[in-house]
Amino acid sequence: MTISGRAAIAGIGATEFSKESGRSELQLAAEACVAALKDAGLTPSDVDGLVTFTQDTNAEIAVARELGVPELSFFSRVDYGGGAACGTVAHAAMAVATGQARTVVCYRAFNERSGQRFGQATTAMAPGTTAMEFSWHLPFGFATPAAWVAMQARRYLHDYGATSEDFGRVAVAMRRHAATNPRAWFHERPITLEEHQASRWVVEPLHLLDCCQESDGAVAIVVTGADRARDLPNPPVSITAAAQGSGPNQMMMFGYYDTDLAALPAMGVVGRALWERSGLRPADVQTAILYDHFTPFVLMQLEELGFCGRGEGRDFVADGGIELDGHLPVNPNGGQLGEAYIHGMNGIAEAVRQIRGTSVNQVPDVSHVLVTAGTGVPTSGLILSRAT
Amino acid sequence: MHDRLMALADELAAEGESAATPCPDPVNAAMIRNWTQALGDRSGRWSEYAPPAMIQVWSMAGPDDRPSPGGRSGQVGRGKSAPDRVLSLLDESGYTGVVATNCEHTYDRYLRLGEELSTTVLFDGVTGPKRTALGEGYFVTWYERWYSGGERVAEMLFRVLKFKPRGAPPAPAGGRYPLRPAVGPDTRFFWDGVRAGELRIQRCAECGALRHPPGPMCPACHATKRDHVVAAGRGVVHSYVVHHHPPVPGLTPPYVVALVELEEGVRIIGNLLGCAPGDVYVGMPVELEFQRMDEELTLPQWRPAAAAPTAEKPPGAAEPSAGESRRDREPGEPELRIELTPTFVISTALATRDFTPVHHDPAVARAQGSADIFLNILTTIGLVQRYALERRPDARLAGIALRLGAPAYAGDTLTLTGRAGEDGTLEVRGAVGLGDHVVATVRLGEPA
Repeated sequence: MTISGRAAIAGIGATEFSKESGRSELQLAAEACVAALKDAGLTPSDVDGLVTFTQDTNAEIAVARELGVPELSFFSRVDYGGGAACGTVAHAAMAVATGQARTVVCYRAFNERSGQRFGQATTAMAPGTTAMEFSWHLPFGFATPAAWVAMQARRYLHDYGATSEDFGRVAVAMRRHAATNPRAWFHERPITLEEHQASRWVVEPLHLLDCCQESDGAVAIVVTGADRARDLPNPPVSITAAAQGSGPNQMMMFGYYDTDLAALPAMGVVGRALWERSGLRPADVQTAILYDHFTPFVLMQLEELGFCGRGEGRDFVADGGIELDGHLPVNPNGGQLGEAYIHGMNGIAEAVRQIRGTSVNQVPDVSHVLVTAGTGVPTSGLILSRAT
Repeated sequence: MHDRLMALADELAAEGESAATPCPDPVNAAMIRNWTQALGDRSGRWSEYAPPAMIQVWSMAGPDDRPSPGGRSGQVGRGKSAPDRVLSLLDESGYTGVVATNCEHTYDRYLRLGEELSTTVLFDGVTGPKRTALGEGYFVTWYERWYSGGERVAEMLFRVLKFKPRGAPPAPAGGRYPLRPAVGPDTRFFWDGVRAGELRIQRCAECGALRHPPGPMCPACHATKRDHVVAAGRGVVHSYVVHHHPPVPGLTPPYVVALVELEEGVRIIGNLLGCAPGDVYVGMPVELEFQRMDEELTLPQWRPAAAAPTAEKPPGAAEPSAGESRRDREPGEPELRIELTPTFVISTALATRDFTPVHHDPAVARAQGSADIFLNILTTIGLVQRYALERRPDARLAGIALRLGAPAYAGDTLTLTGRAGEDGTLEVRGAVGLGDHVVATVRLGEPA
């Protein structure tokens, strides 16, 4: 059996996006879930499933207690940092399609700026295989996500003759989109390519403006059966395809050892599955939400997903190619570089708005949106469609 | 320190030539036979005269009376020689690295069997400080002379670069380096190896597949029996980053993290030391260096290979690189290829009475930052003589001047080529995998 078209997104909710929320991560989670249920026209008593990230600090039962969800019959966690984002919806859709649950809320809540910042150096890990992976890297001060991405970015520049300005064009596009999004942290604050080039080095070859911001906030997504969604207030957004993926010799951010550094094999796995399961092609999506924690991986994702050939990402983003009026508008909300870094969940909410036709930066005639999750790690993706 | 060093150098130079010290043995057939056999000289020409390039062998100290750490010049004699006093002062001042850059022999005449020799040392001087690819350093030059009766028969100029190793963070001041690996049953062999001066790569004991990072089960054949090979310590930069921000405990930005692809085919992460961030490039040849972080932790790190083109080359380094020299070589030019087996490296070291452990003990060599044991200079000059006389069998050798470059490690191949130079000289080049090991000018006299 396939889950294609059997589950839909009925509601989205979020807190404000800030640098200091001033409240607990649990409160953020509860607020976002309530907002999403209200958007869906449902109540906590309709919820029987909760899914979040392995990295989230809010247990499903803790969120259920705050919401007053009486019973849960399905709860699940998805691992690998931001790679989990679309995976939470994939798990929820599978649960709904197979009758394990009727309505599942996916959530992600953190004070990632005012609390524990992922951009800071990691110096040690809890025991286990992940600690062993990190032990080949941390002792050399190779200790931040920017550094781990920069290692691949350097090789990409070398292999394909791309430049830092090609990375910069991604940042410029995201900040242009955020500038007209009142919810975005960088609302009314666009940047130029010159400002990108002049921004300080974080880890060469990445400038500060190649790196996404850090944010406090929460996002929740309500998934329910396609039939049930039709009876709810918002136009349902159909989950046409959902996939998770990891590649050969996969590690957390360290895909260096026997694979091509100028590629994202796990995203290739996800892309192939999404196209095959949906029966769609890249030309069939009107806008894409591509996980943009660091600009180089946007170029590589365009290549892995088949929007362009290997090494052609820089041509694809030239001349505003991924801006609102380009051939593929990417992250109309401003992405994580411009709107907020909520581990990819805010991008899923934007995809829903694009299909509903309610985005502040609406792309015309959207029937299919491709969404991806964190890259460099095992990842996930979705194709969301206007329900027919 | 600089002023003290220069004052000492002036004082020692003013002392002039030291008193003569007798060499332990007369010029003799047994040592000559050992030498010719070890170096592969099958010419059979040394029945009446000694090979001239063997001159330094006659005055080498034995293992018992090899001077203690201060005594690096290695020649016979009582007390601390003038060069040793300068080298010790540099050591104490942090110029702990040493690399020989030049060795020049002048042969006044060939020596006959039975001649009794004596030797003297004449300190020449110190120049510096100079910035080199290895770090800031001073060049120290001295002469050794050999006499038979009252007659001078040969002279050698010897020059070393004493340098302050560059890039290495300050010595741990009793603190514990904060970035520590987790070590488990599947990875302990690696960290034990690092402590023992070996970069170990896991090898499947069944199918032989190499793997880094290691793991408990071979993904190719599912065997759990595993051993390891010791990496030669050479590789190229596959990719790299320069860390600026945020602060990382224990390190001072900017620093370079490189993904190094080893000759053995696996890749490994490490810091690139001794290289300005702006000088790194994808494809840069690098070599292993162990870095002691604190009492317990040693990390396998990298520095530009001796032959790697960098912005600043050590002034004594041979150039152009091996690749360029091969392009320059005319077709059909005779070539002498020598496989540098461990047996060759060790037997030649001993046949030249050079008992320094880095030429015969791999553990000591690696602990000192070398990839393996390597050829000693007395052998290099002997091989240049062998090449020159194989090409010009009738010539008489008047002198050999060496410029030394990349180390010639066991396991490598030394390829000697030559071409006619100015004034009847022969220019000889000896290339190894890392680049030019030696560039020599051989002066030839009238037929012997």
